[in-house]
Amino acid sequence: MRLARYMGYRLVTALPMIFGIIVLNFLLIHLAPGDAASVLAGESGAATPEYMDALRHKFGLDQSLGMQFLTYVSNMAHFNLGYSYRNDADVSSLIFERLGPTSLLMLTAFGTAVALGIILGLVAATGRNSWRDNIISLISLVAYATPGFWLGLMMIVIFSIGLGWLPTSGFDTVGAGHEGWAEVWDVARHLVMPAVSLALFYLALYARLMRASVLEQTGMDYVTTARAKGQTERRIMTGHVLRNALLPIVTIAGVQAGNLIGGSIVVETVFGWPGIGTLAFNALQSRDLNLLLAIFFMSACLIVIINLAVDVIYVMLDPRMEI
Amino acid sequence: MVDHPPLNKISRRTALALPLGLAASSGTIFSNGFAKADEPVRGGTMVMIVQPEPSTLAHYAVTAGNIPPIATQIYEGLVTYDWDQNPQPNLATSWETAPDGKSITFKLREGVVFHNGKRFTSADVQFSFMEILKKYHPFAPLLLAELTGVDTPDEKTAVLLLANPAPYLMKALAGRDLPIMCKSVFEGTQILQNPSANKPIGTGPFKFGQWDRGQFVRLDRNDKYWKPGLPYLDHIIARFIPDAATRSAALETGEAHFAGYSAVNYADLARMKTNPILDTTMKGYEMTPALSVLELNAKHPPLDKKEVRQAIAYAIDRKVILRDVMYGYGKPATGPLSSLFKTVGFYTDDVRKYDVPDRLDIANKLLDGAGLPRGANGMRFGMHLEVNSFGEQWLRQAEYLKQALAIVGIDLTLRSEDTATWLRRVYTDYDYDINEPFLSQGVDPVYGLNKQYLTSQIRKGVTFVNDSFYANPEFDGILNEAMREQDHDKRAVLYKKAQQILAEDCPLVWLIDVQYVSVFNRKLRDHTTGPLGTQQAFERAWLET
Repeated sequence: MRLARYMGYRLVTALPMIFGIIVLNFLLIHLAPGDAASVLAGESGAATPEYMDALRHKFGLDQSLGMQFLTYVSNMAHFNLGYSYRNDADVSSLIFERLGPTSLLMLTAFGTAVALGIILGLVAATGRNSWRDNIISLISLVAYATPGFWLGLMMIVIFSIGLGWLPTSGFDTVGAGHEGWAEVWDVARHLVMPAVSLALFYLALYARLMRASVLEQTGMDYVTTARAKGQTERRIMTGHVLRNALLPIVTIAGVQAGNLIGGSIVVETVFGWPGIGTLAFNALQSRDLNLLLAIFFMSACLIVIINLAVDVIYVMLDPRMEI
Repeated sequence: MVDHPPLNKISRRTALALPLGLAASSGTIFSNGFAKADEPVRGGTMVMIVQPEPSTLAHYAVTAGNIPPIATQIYEGLVTYDWDQNPQPNLATSWETAPDGKSITFKLREGVVFHNGKRFTSADVQFSFMEILKKYHPFAPLLLAELTGVDTPDEKTAVLLLANPAPYLMKALAGRDLPIMCKSVFEGTQILQNPSANKPIGTGPFKFGQWDRGQFVRLDRNDKYWKPGLPYLDHIIARFIPDAATRSAALETGEAHFAGYSAVNYADLARMKTNPILDTTMKGYEMTPALSVLELNAKHPPLDKKEVRQAIAYAIDRKVILRDVMYGYGKPATGPLSSLFKTVGFYTDDVRKYDVPDRLDIANKLLDGAGLPRGANGMRFGMHLEVNSFGEQWLRQAEYLKQALAIVGIDLTLRSEDTATWLRRVYTDYDYDINEPFLSQGVDPVYGLNKQYLTSQIRKGVTFVNDSFYANPEFDGILNEAMREQDHDKRAVLYKKAQQILAEDCPLVWLIDVQYVSVFNRKLRDHTTGPLGTQQAFERAWLET
């Protein structure tokens, strides 16, 4: 019950912060020179002043900044994310179409990175300076230093062009009309390379972090005490060290979950993955302000929620923490 | 499949050897060259790469180059064009221009239905031209300026009424430029907010199927298409893959069958050619002339001096740009019109020539003569170059230009910005010295020359118009006369004069006559059947099984 009340309190206090983010985003975006009308006209290669005026009127760009802001805030208050004139579609439908693929990619990549990272870190730490520690450390160093897009392209060259095992890009086989498990298998095949190229950097990071964290904990007095009490090494590791060693991982993972949207832009672009990342990038390039603001808003909400989740996980891992 | 030469070599050779008009029926011509596997096969799904994803399919209101490859499968025009760019029947079966040039009467095809089941009549032509295209098409002020009305004496006759003769109009009546829409879809609605913007309804060989944003547009075979037996394909899928390397990979693995325009980087083309399943062609871009140029801001001294502008034109070695930036695709530009206008007789290279052996000496002499001696560091003056934001090749070009101009003592600073900022700086704020845009020239000189060089086209805030502040009343007069002149030969004389004046005044520096390239899978046949290439329907395309 206390937990539920705490979460409610946190969500309510987040509201002013989210409003602040909305205002800041709005102002920052309007600092950028150029507008949607000129980009659209630029792509067309020709336009008249009347055409540009008509576009600006349609987009509401002919109104004063204050007026545009009021319209925007009042739309938001009514849970209306607005209309993307550039895409001739509702912003909410554009975002929701992309939310599924992005969530799938992010959760797969993030889940893999955290789970494998923890396991590899643990394996490395328990066999300090052994061959398996050396191999894991070397691999994570290389993975940490390799740019995701390069890795993605290399995987395409090897697994798509060279071996023909995996499709180069997209979310599923276009026009194949798969259903049921065939569809799941199809999407899974498309998911492998983007998820791996997104996960590998984080995986390396968590493995290194976990290794250091475990090594630090094993030198603590409570471990010595446990040993003195005659507990087995396995029991010490799972019952004592692991819980404590996980705390820094949770902290870092919580911070980085927000970064995933940014990081996914590159990977989504390379693999033509129909996610939020490319949507945001295109919206920025074309000054599609309603869409861009909505994506920012959504990311802000996401980060508030993830932070809250991190705090709750903290309490579950370490009951000494107060909420 | 192994024992015959690549398709594009046949088609190129055949098309060159053939007299007028015959090439339009290329499906049958190809069959002469092949012993087997030449009967078109019905069915199959063709995947083409379109880059970038279009923002809308409202072809009548937005003219970005990535829309026509999809939209022209759905929307058709009154006419189409053969390889010599002569109009051929399409939705109109015949046409006649009045002796005074002030009206064109079109006889319309019987038995055509829109994808929503409505019959196509002259009312659709009238509504499309007067209520949609004339009001909302970005090119209307150029192409439809003279159009005053459309008469519909009966269901199968439409008469375009013109204030003055407009000979260029007959070049712009394909589905790419002036598509015909269904009146009942738009009547009584807000045109720009019409739901058919992203679910287009036309008369073409393919119907709109599905748009999965960020991924693809699917088009389905129109079973009630008015050309019997066509199209051959069941589906066309336009895929959107943002990354250039991945686009190439999708072609190499056979996941995609066709990529036109700049969808594949020039740098990747050499590799594509070594792949046994792929081939390339340069055909299908005859009605898409384009030049890469330098715009010089004549409001910023010393660019107001003709000698300085000419010196810049002399200082650049176009062959280097062609080789190192364009990977050999294209030609050095000789003047303000693309050499593609040679087919219709408007192009001339009888102008001041800038690619001459002693060009560096001439450039240095011109700059000395303009009172711009070299300073202590060997430089005469400094300028900014705005780097075109539409791709990496423009940065390569800018890097070369910096070196080339340094030789004659012009110190160039490169400035790269994103598209919106770049367009704002150049066309709204005029805060630039030299700009390196890429200019499409349309189907007639009226399009390419008028918007770029007429004094009346100096219009703040409008992109890709006369931002070099070129103003020459004599030249304006020639262009306006050429626009209304009905006699083709007289027009050709006027445009020759216009090109000579421009080459002398040098308001822009013309760099490369752009050549686009299509990459295709050898299984895909009869894909490029006319001069509009990707910007006309793939009605005859078929896939080998």
